[in-house]
Amino acid sequence: MKANFGKVQVLKGINLSFPENQVTAIMGPSGCGKTTLIRCLNRIHELTPNAKVEGEVLLDGVNIYSPQVDPVAIRRRIGMVFQKANPFPTMSIFENTIAGLKLAGVRNKETLDQVAERSLRMAFLWDEVKDDLKKSGVDLSGGQQQRLCIARALAVEPEIILMDEPCSALDPIATAKIEESIVELKKEFTIIIVTHNMQQAARVSDFTAFMYLGNLIEFDTTSEVFENPKSELTEKYITGKFG
Amino acid sequence: MQRLLDKGLEELTTMVVKMGKDAEKAVAISLRGFLESKDTSNDVHEISEILVGNTVEVEEKAFSLIAKYQPVASDLRIINSYMKVAYDFERYGRYAWDISFISTRFNGHSTCDEWVFEYIEKMAEKVLQMVTTSINSLRSLDVELVKKMTKTEQGVDDMYLEFLGKLVKTAGVTNECTVSSTLVVRYLERIADHATHIMEAVVYIATGEKVTLR
Repeated sequence: MKANFGKVQVLKGINLSFPENQVTAIMGPSGCGKTTLIRCLNRIHELTPNAKVEGEVLLDGVNIYSPQVDPVAIRRRIGMVFQKANPFPTMSIFENTIAGLKLAGVRNKETLDQVAERSLRMAFLWDEVKDDLKKSGVDLSGGQQQRLCIARALAVEPEIILMDEPCSALDPIATAKIEESIVELKKEFTIIIVTHNMQQAARVSDFTAFMYLGNLIEFDTTSEVFENPKSELTEKYITGKFG
Repeated sequence: MQRLLDKGLEELTTMVVKMGKDAEKAVAISLRGFLESKDTSNDVHEISEILVGNTVEVEEKAFSLIAKYQPVASDLRIINSYMKVAYDFERYGRYAWDISFISTRFNGHSTCDEWVFEYIEKMAEKVLQMVTTSINSLRSLDVELVKKMTKTEQGVDDMYLEFLGKLVKTAGVTNECTVSSTLVVRYLERIADHATHIMEAVVYIATGEKVTLR
């Protein structure tokens, strides 16, 4: 797959398979194209003016870029959690959690209640908010807000969750909670996480991809990448000898 | 620009290299003592005790580097291997002391026939060669040098078993000679095993490959 912003090519031909029910970390220096890569995986990249994608992204053997595929349906199957927690400011915790379902037309209160509880439980937030569901989502702490966003992504029952630096704005304790939830969530979802934090990649992921200047340099099991990387460039990056 | 971790790694390398020199010295002194019927147990014991202390220091330094810098890839392989190698050096020292102690306690090979003396001398030569190679290869990370030693290790193992077989079949060997020579060849065989561990660590540091050279 190749991707451009106008004439600038930011992905120069990436070929990569993400294993099911595993966590894959994508790491690399700023500007290497890792965020663009995951934004191509659920067709968010094309929403940017002048952005272009060439190639295929296969989900269950179907190219998500084929003209018959509805990008909105794809974004439901491939959810996303962003760098900065972004709960809807006018909505309560409960409303935030089921916002996606409501947009999809679900109105049954019992269903919404069940989905909200299940999603908040999966995001390891339920015990902390179950008595305050009517409280505004933005009144939560930073770490709780991010877990609320994870719950919101889970509520529409995606198959894959993309995470773009989900802990970059969080303290170590909130980060640990998100990381614990990532490891639990892989039992039901396939997770692809972009991270600058190499120790985080080492802690939570099963596979690691290293990107540099729009190219995929190395992809292997996380233990292999961190113990015995095959590429000298990967070795230099992860040991801090880069540049 | 030097990384913060580099200074710590340099210090750790210096500690391990010094241990290697001391360990080699301990083995060489003890073997010479045995072959020349000289009491070297006090000298070797002193070096052995220093090596025990050094192993703890290497371990503490390695832990500190891991805790502070979370090393990965070749950095992590070096630190992990140095901890193991430090223990191997400690064992060199301990077996060297055992050889010198047994040699003194049972009056060395003085009651042994000439063939026992010659056999152990030959085995000691091979083991010392392995010890020296293990230390040199750790400094140079020369994988080819290490791989050449595989046959020598096998040779030491064969000599050990052959010696025991020969000793059992030989009539008239004194009890003192049987005990001291059996223990000495056993310690030599163990030293060779530790040399092999070190050489396996050299391959791991240099290539990331986990090999068995035995």
